[in-house]
Amino acid sequence: MRTRAAIGHLAFLALLLGAWDAALRFGWADPTLLPHFATVLETLWRLLLDPDFRVHLGVTALEVLLAFVIAAPLAVSTGCILGEKLHFGRVVNPVLHFVLAIPQSIFLPIFILLFGIGISAKVIFGVTHAYFVIAVTTVAAVRSVPLPLVTAARAFGATPRQVYTRVYLPAMLPLVVTGLRIGMIFNIIGVLLAEMYGARFGVGHKILGWGESFDLPKLLAGILLVSVLTIVLNELMRAWELRAGRWRPATWQV
Amino acid sequence: MSRAARIRALGLIAFVVLWEAVAQLGLVSPILLAPPSEVVAALMTDGGVFLEGLALTVAEIGLAVALAWSLGIGFGLLAGSSGRSAEIIGPLLASLFAVPVIILYPLFIAWVGMGPGSKVLFGVISGFFPIALNTLSGLRQVDPDYATMSRAMGANGVQVFLKVYLLMALPAIISGLRIGTALVVIGVVVTEMLASLGGVGFLISYHRTLFDTGHVYLGITLALLVVLAVNWGLSRLERRFGGWRELQQAAG
Amino acid sequence: MSAGFIEVKGVSKTFTGHLAPVEALDRVSFSVAEGQFVSLVGPSGCGKSTLLQILAGLMESSHGEAHIAGECVSGPMPEKVGMVFQEALLLPWKTAAVNIGFPLELRGVPKPARRERAHALLSLVGMCDVADRYPHELSVGMRQRIAIARGLVHDPSVVLMDEPFAVLDEQTRVRMGQELLAIWQETRKTILFITHSLSEAIYLSDTVLVMGPRPGRILDVLETGLPRPRTPEMIGSEVFGRLRNRIWQLIGEAQP
Repeated sequence: MRTRAAIGHLAFLALLLGAWDAALRFGWADPTLLPHFATVLETLWRLLLDPDFRVHLGVTALEVLLAFVIAAPLAVSTGCILGEKLHFGRVVNPVLHFVLAIPQSIFLPIFILLFGIGISAKVIFGVTHAYFVIAVTTVAAVRSVPLPLVTAARAFGATPRQVYTRVYLPAMLPLVVTGLRIGMIFNIIGVLLAEMYGARFGVGHKILGWGESFDLPKLLAGILLVSVLTIVLNELMRAWELRAGRWRPATWQV
Repeated sequence: MSRAARIRALGLIAFVVLWEAVAQLGLVSPILLAPPSEVVAALMTDGGVFLEGLALTVAEIGLAVALAWSLGIGFGLLAGSSGRSAEIIGPLLASLFAVPVIILYPLFIAWVGMGPGSKVLFGVISGFFPIALNTLSGLRQVDPDYATMSRAMGANGVQVFLKVYLLMALPAIISGLRIGTALVVIGVVVTEMLASLGGVGFLISYHRTLFDTGHVYLGITLALLVVLAVNWGLSRLERRFGGWRELQQAAG
Repeated sequence: MSAGFIEVKGVSKTFTGHLAPVEALDRVSFSVAEGQFVSLVGPSGCGKSTLLQILAGLMESSHGEAHIAGECVSGPMPEKVGMVFQEALLLPWKTAAVNIGFPLELRGVPKPARRERAHALLSLVGMCDVADRYPHELSVGMRQRIAIARGLVHDPSVVLMDEPFAVLDEQTRVRMGQELLAIWQETRKTILFITHSLSEAIYLSDTVLVMGPRPGRILDVLETGLPRPRTPEMIGSEVFGRLRNRIWQLIGEAQP
């Protein structure tokens, strides 16, 4: 299964690079609009060496990290509380789902008006994106713990604290990690979007600028960098997810 | 009107009244919050322009949705038709889904310009992945016993595929369509806000730079109406075609 | 003087729900001597599981009380009581061996000691080669064996078993019954075995408590009088048939 996945990824890369090369070689594409892959790599390398760009990269990374560090604990605790308090949860949970359904991105202009174009605006935007997804998934995780297991633990003398640490937490963990992973994806999307919309720093801001000035090598280099970083981050979190959920039956997932 | 609908209608009216009150009382800066009355005023003065923008946005969304649905479902069906291809392509789609599509938008602008083409292209890519993934996984999760049973009753390959696999995968496909369509709609509106020559999103951004908050909220309201309308349409679709999933789960 | 090792006196339980209150148990009384293997048999819904939950300290009775080894039951008594449930209820994220050691883990017994005990019990139930497998990798029968091992690991004096073989097929049931008897002979625990299968109750135990439909009441206490060790041929014997019919009759008469 893992080898097939690897085959898929490699085949895709081969196809992509092959088509890219062919497009230039046979003159289907204009080199100003589609520079050679080698040029893009070289540009990326130079960007990574450029301290100015590294500042932008650092700002984005900082925003993503801050947003996640704020959102994740808040959302997980909210989810735990809502999941446990059945009655309270039943009232509030639909509200969470409702907010999740509203495209928060539409309110981006208001966000910018409220918080300006500094780092805090990006962080807050990322937080709101990640929070609801993680909270909703955590509620589902709490509810997924089979109650008979709790009964069995109590029969063997587990104290309430032991029930929590030895039954609930391990049972919930895989689903919570899934929520964290997807929350991170949403977080990154939110931060980049906000950077593109209104900012002076950040990778998103630079990418938009390169697009507007038709600097294709840098634009593609930026896209390549962000793609690789997000894919790697996602796969790392997915590896954690799989490890935590070793004991669950395999299912297809995003 | 049912009781729930009446409560919801009352809630909506209460919300609008509260909104007007808060804005009029100056509790929030007028730059941030425009009262409904101002929104209506904007509609009166520039209604035509906004409706034109709405039409453009809806057209972009419509085209993008049509393309995303056909490409997504088609690709998903192909990829999910065999276990082997699913195991090769599935993880690839899941990995690519993690990439924030928004960063591709400047590329599309460079290639296709700031007109509707770039929005449609972006919308299609936004919607493609969840639709394809859900179609693929929906197909894979069909219990092969159903196919065996149908073949035992004399169905040939095509019939088995259409009447068994497709039908049983339908709830998953529709769930993918819901997510994908939502992403298409948001994608189109957001990219219009970011860099565009027309459409509702463009008008929202444009009036923000002029601090015409009334117009901004008019645009947002129109955008939300589109989202709600699309959602409602999809709910009806789900109810019609995917409603028997609960029965399936109960039986299985 | 010494009451039974398990002593139940006038236990009643009424559930107050949204609609009318449900009387699950009606003045149930019986006693089980130490080292005995006693079955409790009754139709579905008669309150057997409720009674077991009360005995295990997981639920409070509305009236009456229960004693185990002289101590009044007011909550779970993990040192004296081990339980085996209808579904194995193993923790899915732990291996078989770790699952067996779970009651000891809750009590703070250090890891090496736990592992040793777990392996001892794995041999007892014949599951040594699956020590490091996860529950989802095991068959239902295997899981139930692990569950039985877990119920014994902390060396309780009393083992409460709630229809542990209900989800198994016939052949596995018979085999597990034999194994359980072998374990009982070796460890001489006091076992209260709940089942809805009349044959199983008669086959496994010396004493059968017959319970009637809701509200649960003890209709009669039957001594099986069958010699030990039990053999499968006994199931077809006349004595067996008579016992079965007697129980069947009792339950039938008690139906409303």
